Amino acid sequence: MAETRSAERAHDAPGTAVVPGASPLLLDLKGITKRFPGVVALDSVDFELRRGEVHVLFGENGAGKSTLTNIVAGTYPADQGRIIFDGRQISHLTPHQARLAGISPVFQEFSLAPDLTVEENLFLGREHAAWGVLHKREMRAKARAVLGDLGFDLRANARVGGLMRAQQQMTEIAKALLQDVKLLILDEPTASLTEHETERLFALIDRLKREGVGIIYVSHRIGEIKRVGDRVTVLRDGKKIGTVDAAAIEEIQLVEMMTGRKIDVLFPTIDCKPGPVLIEASHLSTADGRLVDVSFTVRAGEIVGVAGLVGCGKSELARAVFGLEKLSAGEITIEGAPVRRPKPSTMLKRGVCYFPSDRVAEGLALPRPLRENVSVAALDLPNFTRLRFIRRARERAEVKAIVETLRIRPPQIERPVDFLSGGNRQKVMLARGLTREIRMFLFDEPTVGIDVGAKTEVYQFMKELAEGGSAVLLISSELPEVLNLSHRVYVMHRGRVVTELSGAEITEQAVLSLFFDKKGFGGGAKPAASA
Amino acid sequence: MTLRTMGGAAARRGIVRLGLAFMVSYGALPIIIALMYLGFGLVEPRFHSGDNAINILKQASYLAILATGQMLALLTRGFDLSIGQMTSMVSVASALVMMGVLARNPDAVVLAILAACAVGLAAGLATGAVNGLCVAVFRINPFVVTLGMQGIAMGFATTISDGFPVFNLPIEFTEVFSRSSWLGIPAPVAVCIIVLAVAYIVLNHSVLGRSWYILGGNPRAAHIAGLSSRVHLVSAYVMCSLFVAVGALLLTARTGSGEPNLGGGLMLQSIAAAVIGGVSLRGGEGRVIHVVYGALFVTILSIGMNFVRIDGYIQQIVLGVVVVAAVYLDLLRTRIR
Repeated sequence: MAETRSAERAHDAPGTAVVPGASPLLLDLKGITKRFPGVVALDSVDFELRRGEVHVLFGENGAGKSTLTNIVAGTYPADQGRIIFDGRQISHLTPHQARLAGISPVFQEFSLAPDLTVEENLFLGREHAAWGVLHKREMRAKARAVLGDLGFDLRANARVGGLMRAQQQMTEIAKALLQDVKLLILDEPTASLTEHETERLFALIDRLKREGVGIIYVSHRIGEIKRVGDRVTVLRDGKKIGTVDAAAIEEIQLVEMMTGRKIDVLFPTIDCKPGPVLIEASHLSTADGRLVDVSFTVRAGEIVGVAGLVGCGKSELARAVFGLEKLSAGEITIEGAPVRRPKPSTMLKRGVCYFPSDRVAEGLALPRPLRENVSVAALDLPNFTRLRFIRRARERAEVKAIVETLRIRPPQIERPVDFLSGGNRQKVMLARGLTREIRMFLFDEPTVGIDVGAKTEVYQFMKELAEGGSAVLLISSELPEVLNLSHRVYVMHRGRVVTELSGAEITEQAVLSLFFDKKGFGGGAKPAASA
Repeated sequence: MTLRTMGGAAARRGIVRLGLAFMVSYGALPIIIALMYLGFGLVEPRFHSGDNAINILKQASYLAILATGQMLALLTRGFDLSIGQMTSMVSVASALVMMGVLARNPDAVVLAILAACAVGLAAGLATGAVNGLCVAVFRINPFVVTLGMQGIAMGFATTISDGFPVFNLPIEFTEVFSRSSWLGIPAPVAVCIIVLAVAYIVLNHSVLGRSWYILGGNPRAAHIAGLSSRVHLVSAYVMCSLFVAVGALLLTARTGSGEPNLGGGLMLQSIAAAVIGGVSLRGGEGRVIHVVYGALFVTILSIGMNFVRIDGYIQQIVLGVVVVAAVYLDLLRTRIR
C-alpha cells in the first residue's frame, strides 16, 4: 500500500516518478481495482505489455475489458493499483496526458465529428496553426501521407458522417496513428471491416510491432487472436482468470476460461429435415438498386445462410422481405400466399420476424424497460391485451418466462434495456420471436458485438428453432457462422445472388472465391454502389 | 489500513454519486417544492393561509392538465407549441357559442353550457388532428407544425372575437366549473384528478400509451416491431389537444369570460412543468406524477413571486431560466446514469 501513498505524493512532482530498475516492459499494471456504484468492474487485476507485443484482452461483455483499456487511456482513474508506463510510475493520468505520453486508444464508440471531413477529424483538437490561422496545406499533406501509409481507401476531404462504418473505423485508426505511438489500444477494430481491409490492418499491426509499439487488442474473434496476438489475458467478472500464449491456445479453452463453464462445441450440429417452402422470394429488386433480381427460398426446418461482403445487399435481402426496403420488382410468398405490400406489422402477423443488425438504432427502445421491449411485437394478441388494454399481470408472467428460457441476465424485467450488455440486449430482441407464433426468423448479423458465451446461446436458439420446424434465414459477415450453421448458403455480390451452395459444397474456399470480382482480390472490397 | 481508507473513500464517492443521481432525478423535487412553499411563507406569512393553499392547488390543476397534454407530445419525441394559443381559441369559441345559444333562448343555460363544452372539445380535437396529421403523415417537424398552429390559433381567436373578451357568461358556468366543490374537492382540482387518472390509465394500461413510449424511445425500433407510427402519433396530438381544451374550458369558467389572450404564457409554462417534473425531451420517458410535481413547482414559484411582489416580466425571466436549467439537469441525469 506504500505504492499508493507514493503515487499520491508523486503527483506533486511532474506527475510521474522513475521507478528504479525499470523493466523492459512497456506497460505494467499491478492490482488495478475500479469500482462503479454497485459493481466492482476490476478486482485487483495485473496486466503487462511488452514492447512490440500484441496482448489480447478476452472476456464476455461486462468482464472488465473496456474498464481496463479506459484506465490505460486515462478516461477514468483506478481506485487502487499501480501503473508503470515506459519505466515510469504514473499516478494521475488524463486522456490528454495519455496521448502526449504516446498512448493512443481506438474505441468502438467513435470520437469523430460527423460534419467534419476525414482530414479535419484527424487533426481535431491538435490543428497545426500559427496566429490562429490553420496550416491547411500542411495538414492535408500529412493526412494524405498517413492515409496512404495505411493503404486505406479514404478521401481526406470526405465528410465523416457520409462514410460507411468501416471507413469511419479507418479514420479512427488513422487518427490514433497520426502522432508518435508507443501503445495502441484497439477495441474490436475489425468489427466493421471487410476481409480485405482487415488484412491491411493486420499488415499495419505487424509493422507497428516491428517498430516496437505495444498493442492492447480487444477481440472476440479467435481467428484474429491467433493471427495477430502474442499473449491472451482472459477476464471474467472483473477478475483476471489467466494469461496464455496465443499460439498454443484453442478456442474452446479460451471460451471455457471466459465463461467459467465447460463448452463442448461452439457450433451445434443442427439436424435438417426440410419441410415445405415457407419463404419464397422471386426476382426481387429494390428501388435503390441494392438488390437486383434476387430469388431465394427458405424451407421449414432449415437454416439458410447468406454470405457476402459488407454492402453486397445481404442485409437488404431480409429487410426487403420484412417490408423495410422499397421494392421495384419481384414477389414475396409466405407459406404459399403472396404478400401484396410487405410491412413489419403484416409480416409479424404472417409469422415472420426480422432481427436487425443494429440493436441500438433499430432494435430496442433503450430507455424503456426490458418487459416493454419484449412484448412490443405482440401487442395485438389476446395473450397480452384485451380490448386494446394491456393485461399487465399476464404480460409480466409471459415475459418472465421468456427471460428465463433465454437466460437474460440480470433477469429484472423492469430494468431499462440501456443497462444491459450487448449479448443480453440481443437476447431481449430475440425474445420477441417467442412472444407470438413466429415460424420464419430473419437474423441479420445476430452475433455482432456480443461475447462468445452469448454467441453459443444464440446458436443454440437457432438450432432449437430449426429443429422445431421453423425457417431460419441467417445473414452474417462472420463466415464461420454461416459455414457451420447453414444447411444451404446463398452468396451475394453487388446486389445479386451469385450462387447457391448446399451440404458438402459449403466450404470456406467455395464461399470466399465468390465474394470478390473475378478480376482480382482488391476490387471486390468496394461495396456495391447503386447499380 | 491505507487500503481500507482508500476503499472507504471510493465507497464514499460512490455514495455521493448515488445520492447525486437520486437528487437529480425525481426524489429531490418534492423536497424542493416543500422548501419553496415554506420559504415564500417565511418572507410573506399570508402565503401560508388556507385560502392560498387552495388557490395554489386550483392554479396547479389548470397547469397540470395542460402539461399532461404537453407530456403526450413530448413522449413521442414531439412538441406542442400551440398549447397556449389553442387555449385562447377554445376559450373564445366556447364563450361565443354559449352567448349565441343564450341570445336565442335566455333560459337554456344548461344547453348553452353543454354546447360550449362540446364546441370547445371539438375545436381541440380538430386542432390536434391537424397537428398530428402534419407530423405523422406529412412528416413535418413538430416544432414547425405547432409553431404554425400557434399563429393560426391566435389569429382565429382574435378574428372571431374581434379582439375583445366575450363577457357576461352565465354565472352557472363559473359556479359549476370554478367555484363549486365536487365531493368537497374544488371543481378544477377534481377535473384535474380525472384527467390525470385518464392519462395514467392510457399511459400504463393501454396499447396506445405503450406505443407512445416505444415510439418515443426509438421510432425505428417501433416500426420494426410492427407499431404504426401514423395512428399513434396522430392520437398523441389529438389527446394532447383534448386535454388542452378541457383546461381551456376550466380557465374560461374561472375568468367568467372568453379571453382571446388567455393563453399567452401557457406554452412556456406547460413545457416548464413537464420538463421540470422529469419528462424527457428526448422522448420515451415521462410519467403522470412528473407532471404533478412540475405543475406544483411552477405554480408555487409564480404565486410565491406574486406574493413577494416580483414584477410579472421578471417572473417570465425566472421561468425561462428555470426551464433551461431543468433541461440541463435532465441531461445530467442521463449522464450520471
